[in-house]
Amino acid sequence: MAVSWEEARDKLRELRDSNVRDGESVVDLGERLVRKYSSKLGDELWLVCEQVFIAALDVDRDDVADMCLEKLSSNFPKSSRVMKLQGMMLESQGCADEAEELYKTILAQDPTNAAVRKRLIALSKWRNWKNPGATIKMLTEYLEVFMADNDAWLELADLYIAQMDYDRAAYCMEELILSNSFNHLYHQRYAEIKYSKGGKENKELARQYFAQAVKLSNNCNMRALYGLLMTCTSLCGKVSQSEDSKNKQYATWAAKMIAEKYNNTWVQDKDVSLDGKKNVTPSKDVPQLMASVQQSLSLLNLQDGVA
Amino acid sequence: MSEPELLLDSSIRMWVVLPIVFITFIFGIIRHYLSLLLTSEKTVTLEQVKNSQAMIRSAKLRENGQFIPQQAFEKRKQYFLAEDSIIIKGKNKPGQAKNPMTDPSMMTDMMKGNVLNVLPMIVIGGWIQWTFSGFVTTKVPFPLTIRFKPMLQRGIELESLDASWVSSASWYFLNVFGLRSMYSLILGENNAADQTRLMQEQMSGAAMAMQQDPQKAFKNEWEQLMTTNYVNALHGIEDVVCTTPVVLEDIYTRERIAASAS
Repeated sequence: MAVSWEEARDKLRELRDSNVRDGESVVDLGERLVRKYSSKLGDELWLVCEQVFIAALDVDRDDVADMCLEKLSSNFPKSSRVMKLQGMMLESQGCADEAEELYKTILAQDPTNAAVRKRLIALSKWRNWKNPGATIKMLTEYLEVFMADNDAWLELADLYIAQMDYDRAAYCMEELILSNSFNHLYHQRYAEIKYSKGGKENKELARQYFAQAVKLSNNCNMRALYGLLMTCTSLCGKVSQSEDSKNKQYATWAAKMIAEKYNNTWVQDKDVSLDGKKNVTPSKDVPQLMASVQQSLSLLNLQDGVA
Repeated sequence: MSEPELLLDSSIRMWVVLPIVFITFIFGIIRHYLSLLLTSEKTVTLEQVKNSQAMIRSAKLRENGQFIPQQAFEKRKQYFLAEDSIIIKGKNKPGQAKNPMTDPSMMTDMMKGNVLNVLPMIVIGGWIQWTFSGFVTTKVPFPLTIRFKPMLQRGIELESLDASWVSSASWYFLNVFGLRSMYSLILGENNAADQTRLMQEQMSGAAMAMQQDPQKAFKNEWEQLMTTNYVNALHGIEDVVCTTPVVLEDIYTRERIAASAS
């Protein structure tokens, strides 16, 4: 393929601005750019270098990474941003202690450097993968100061879920919902945590948040639809008669919706979608999937629901 | 008009017009590198980061608190309004650095700015006016009204001279502002040689200082959070969702259905 350097530059800029982590294509596009066209890029060269460097570490292309880092550190010998990259290089070579030391020297100069703090936490996560307690402690200390950092909250939620500490994980998810209340994935995740926690009240909360996720995703979030179905099924028979009928109604609706989606998206077009690509779920799987929906409904004696 | 009303000596070009361009240009480049040497980066303390992030979080709680359960909302509200919370502390602490005169670091910053921008302007400008005063340097190629005389003919008070002639002092000022795009071509964007940008910054400076009173901002946030009460936005959401008709609404599937029907 012959991509002109302008096209490559624009593509890289787009990837950089949208925070896409696609190491392979970044290295493909960027290597030639950094090697041959570095004089044409002007000041953007340094941004491209940084981007290609991180991508090269991702895909294990040490030669490219070395070249980029050399360019950057000869141009900005004292920059803490380049020092962070050097630390990442050390990490990729497995020198955790050296990297940690380097990060700590950067932090001693500038204690507000959030990116380096996060690298230290990532390093700890890698080293203490068997025992996330230390990482959780570091991450909470970080969030004490940088409490509006959404990615850190999400990471903390993950760590707590791995520890099956659902209450604390729920707290983290609440924080994320507060930060972006229109993201249906956050609502769905929160509902899943509450569902895992169990108990009538938690499940009712889960039902509410699954419903919200379905609504926000314009009935498209399959996982939330399944979640709604599961929650309503498990809530049935445990509470009063009127509650039961409501739960049955919701479960039926979710099952119908799921069935409708399977029928329309996969059965009709016989494994091949409009653009000629093969579907992820072939139509031969549909009966099986439908059976699982039917089964959860049959627990409620509601076989009439799905066509 | 068969012949020009005024014939300029060609040594004016060599000894006045070009030197003024050259001096202004070199001076801009020197100033760019000097300011790179002298500017100190604004440092933020950990405390400031914490305060500002707490403010963001509190504002988000007010905004989106309706989407989390009541218990969670009350827990957070209590946290932010506790006796030793960041907001209360910030509210009770008198704001610092209100007056730039009392803050030495701000004073030096202002000094540097003045030394780099205003002082050379006066010195070089004065020198140019003194050395090259009284020359008619060039003529703009279109007629101008009499109102342009003070702008283009500074230093020459001649009633009868046509307004499109430019004096040496005015030529200097034209250069100071007109070389902007040359600087950005040579030094890259956001260079310090650009004086018009500096002027814009000075204008917005007052507005920025207003926001930087932390005590007021904390007090404001505290008041707003105090008056925020919990409302559950998700109440009865299941009934809303589960009564919508089971039809696929997204464009993707609509296209597919249309394609398979045809």
